[in-house]
Amino acid sequence: MTVNPSPFPLPFEGRGLRRGEVSSVGRVGELELAYHRRGRHTVLLRSRSRSPWHLFPPITLDETGCAYTLLLNPSGGLVGGDRLSLRATLGKDAHVLFSTPSANRVYRSASETAEQSVDLAVGPGAILEWLPEPTIPFAGSRFRQTIHVSLQPGATALLWDAIASGRVARGERWVFTDLENEIRITTAAGEYLLDRYHVHPEKKTGAGLACDWDYVASLYLVSDTVDAEIRKRLEEKIAVILDECAGSVLAGVSKPALPGLAVKLVARSAPDLNGVLESLWGAIRGQLWGFPVPALRRY
Amino acid sequence: MDILSLLRGLRFIDSFFPSGGYAFSSGLEAAVQAGAVRNSEDLSKYVADILRNGQGRCEAVAVAKAWDAQARGSGREAMGADQDLDAMKLCRETRMASQQMGRQVIRIAADQIEGHPILLDFRTAVEADQTPGHLAVSVGLTLGACGWTRTYTVAAYLYQTATGFVAAALKLLPMGQREGQRLLQEWTTIISEVSHQADAQSVMSSWVPVQDIFSMRHSRLESRLFRS
Repeated sequence: MTVNPSPFPLPFEGRGLRRGEVSSVGRVGELELAYHRRGRHTVLLRSRSRSPWHLFPPITLDETGCAYTLLLNPSGGLVGGDRLSLRATLGKDAHVLFSTPSANRVYRSASETAEQSVDLAVGPGAILEWLPEPTIPFAGSRFRQTIHVSLQPGATALLWDAIASGRVARGERWVFTDLENEIRITTAAGEYLLDRYHVHPEKKTGAGLACDWDYVASLYLVSDTVDAEIRKRLEEKIAVILDECAGSVLAGVSKPALPGLAVKLVARSAPDLNGVLESLWGAIRGQLWGFPVPALRRY
Repeated sequence: MDILSLLRGLRFIDSFFPSGGYAFSSGLEAAVQAGAVRNSEDLSKYVADILRNGQGRCEAVAVAKAWDAQARGSGREAMGADQDLDAMKLCRETRMASQQMGRQVIRIAADQIEGHPILLDFRTAVEADQTPGHLAVSVGLTLGACGWTRTYTVAAYLYQTATGFVAAALKLLPMGQREGQRLLQEWTTIISEVSHQADAQSVMSSWVPVQDIFSMRHSRLESRLFRS
């Protein structure tokens, strides 16, 4: 199968903006990272960052030698008109774990949309783990995100993406204005999975049955190196974990139209969400590589 | 649209058409067993959400794209919509159900509707496994070839989805035919609205995470009446 270009506009298109220019509202932040494998460790080969991104040098957390990279936006969140982009390349056999120190807050905006685009190119035999904290869309906020991942032969991607209904602790639920999200993961063979949604709770259509929950998340594992039998065992293990969380979490696992697994879930609270992620991540790391889940430093 | 076009198109969306749709519940069986859908009121909300935020923004747009592809004679566009649908259907059972029904539609359409080479080309591509052959695309191509307008084609597809839910619900819920007809009457208003919206959209999206989850959970039910 061939890959169609995304129908969502890229962040800089159609707004009279060129890369590097600053709009009258919001900031254009760029982060570019290139990793490669050196011996047992993955290291940063090149980097470039532009405010509001702040680059924390990657650290090694455990014996896997993966480069743990915290994506930090010190401004605390996104305002309307902000356009943040991240491009990262993982060289052959590199292993990078991305996370964020805290939730990605999106503030109220009367007109402009805050945008974030992520492009991750995963080289041959490389491992990408993308496990950021949830996005919290504040009341009246507008947010558009694209996450595109391309995999070379033998590469593996584990990708988590979660949104909250709002600032739940203050009773603010499903009152953001607009949220668009597109996740596309493409294998070396050109197969792809596509998760694209557009939620506008204020319109009549609303957020639908998801309104009964406070967190909505997806977890994708895509790899052309994992044996079908191992994938099947992993699917079974994941299904058991999901059943054990029943009540506080409603979730399912299935096989998308490429070599991998897709998990969809809704959760009642942040601890429920984090608990199930930890269990799933542990099961996947253990089954595929025999690695435990590391304790993530958030600072 | 003349009477001949009407009748020739109706044949493909009539429940009498042998697509095997009666075997699938699109996750409803899992939702009923979990207690998330207990009566016709729950069913009404469950399906209305799918029509507005799920199939109404995903499959309905694929139907419209396939209709355009037929009008332009572009097999490539039809395959593009088909592949995007395949990529978006993350649940294996849902994907297989849509493919099985779509393949049956395009086989019969390509055999029996003359003068539209795109139907033959699409069937050939499906049989060579070059494209999945999802129901929405097969219906868009077929009703377009029958002479239906694009909006009517989208509406017919969504109506077929709605009747499929009622048929499954009659077996799964304490609900009678009369209540089923009341629900269909209620959903026709949504279908009409959504069909016009889908007509104007070019991007497929879907926001029905709860229903998607029940579709994924279906394969693990201990006792099952349906295949999805």
